Amino acid sequence: MTTPSTGATVLRPDVVEFLTRVREHLADLSVDERDELLDGLDADLSEQLAEGGALPDPASYAAELRSAAGLPPGRTVKPRKARARTLGAHLVAAPDTLRERWLGLTRRNDLTRRTWTMLEAVRPAWWVLRAWIAVSLVDQLAGEWESLTVLPTLGVPLLGPALLLVAIVLSVLIGQGRIWPGSGPDRTLLTRLVLAGLNLVAILAPLTFHFPDNQPYVVYRENGYRAGYLDAAQRPGLRHGSDVVRNVYAYDAQGQPLQGVQLFDQKGRPIAVAPQSSMGEGADRQVTCPWFNGTTPLFNVFPLRQRAQRYGTCLGKVDPSKVGPQGFHEPPLASVPPATLPDAVPPG
Amino acid sequence: MDTTQLLKGVLDVAVLAVVEDEDGYGYDVLRRLRAGGLAEVGDASVYGTLRRLYAAGALTSYVVPSDEGPHRKYYGITPAGRTQLSTQTKDWETFAATVTALLSETRKVTQLEGARS
Repeated sequence: MTTPSTGATVLRPDVVEFLTRVREHLADLSVDERDELLDGLDADLSEQLAEGGALPDPASYAAELRSAAGLPPGRTVKPRKARARTLGAHLVAAPDTLRERWLGLTRRNDLTRRTWTMLEAVRPAWWVLRAWIAVSLVDQLAGEWESLTVLPTLGVPLLGPALLLVAIVLSVLIGQGRIWPGSGPDRTLLTRLVLAGLNLVAILAPLTFHFPDNQPYVVYRENGYRAGYLDAAQRPGLRHGSDVVRNVYAYDAQGQPLQGVQLFDQKGRPIAVAPQSSMGEGADRQVTCPWFNGTTPLFNVFPLRQRAQRYGTCLGKVDPSKVGPQGFHEPPLASVPPATLPDAVPPG
Repeated sequence: MDTTQLLKGVLDVAVLAVVEDEDGYGYDVLRRLRAGGLAEVGDASVYGTLRRLYAAGALTSYVVPSDEGPHRKYYGITPAGRTQLSTQTKDWETFAATVTALLSETRKVTQLEGARS
């Protein structure tokens, strides 16, 4: 074996166009057979043309190629050729043309080729991700407001994970082209558009998700006097520096803990923690439960009671057997030193 | 005489012989075949043959990336390809010798018949 020369050849657009036509005449072959047959031809033909000559008829070229490669003669060559002049056929061929142009772009140089190879290798990860997005979308649309969870909950125990598993299996089968609408070329325009549409939904759907903590959201009914109302543009919840405040403990001037303290800022807006606020993970997860004015939950009255709950918020619909009892936690400090004002007259 | 039909039968052995000399990509192999005298050989026939020989295990293939242009697909001969080449070379030699002998005898007969009349 000798070291091959690596003189670069510039990929010609007419060659890309020609190979697209050739590919159409090989449409009855499997994707692998076709890729195997055409891989590298762009470079060969580009160099060949650079040294003179013209591109032949794609149909006869495809026929010669497949006969020399020992593949059966094409069945679909004639009807496809006849339809090629109609607008419909152009539409049908459009995804193939786009695909071929795209593949041509990815083969432009070593970097694009490597990147595309890598992206193709992680396609199964996208199949799993889009399944998760689909189930999470259902999870977010159904039932009470809730923040996004890694395992979709759907309100019924095990339903979320089970549905996720089914969705992953279906998505992978679609990705492998085993069930409708399938993947890759050789399919009708409709099925290809359906798949493209579904993938687009999967890409855009996460924009509507309620991500935990720092995403915008709007809460509950139109009552000005209630905690937890937050403008969609605001960051919900309370922060102390960069830490999220999940509960507040107030003490009076004598240093004794207080209960039922309602907090407002200088403009009279309630100072509330976020309703989805929680502490700890798994079995140790605690959610905060609001005070109420009638039926309006108030998250600006402190301290808030807490309860053990694996998923969701204190306001969501949950199975009572799955949550712990609601109760006030011991204040972090039993009492604090008394506070005085320098100009105040001491009592007595 | 239409040499395209003849070419079909010997294209495999010709391609193997060219690749055995030195690994090559599609157009390179085509160029060497044409330079070797097979001026009529069609490019699609050569590219298709390379892919068929690769699928049959007679050739190996590898990609040589290029910084500016599309990658090139190179072909090299495998041990199975060498065996096929040597078998087919012998077959061709026997066949060519037979046909040559046949043709020279026929010519003699024709010449004799021509001389008698």
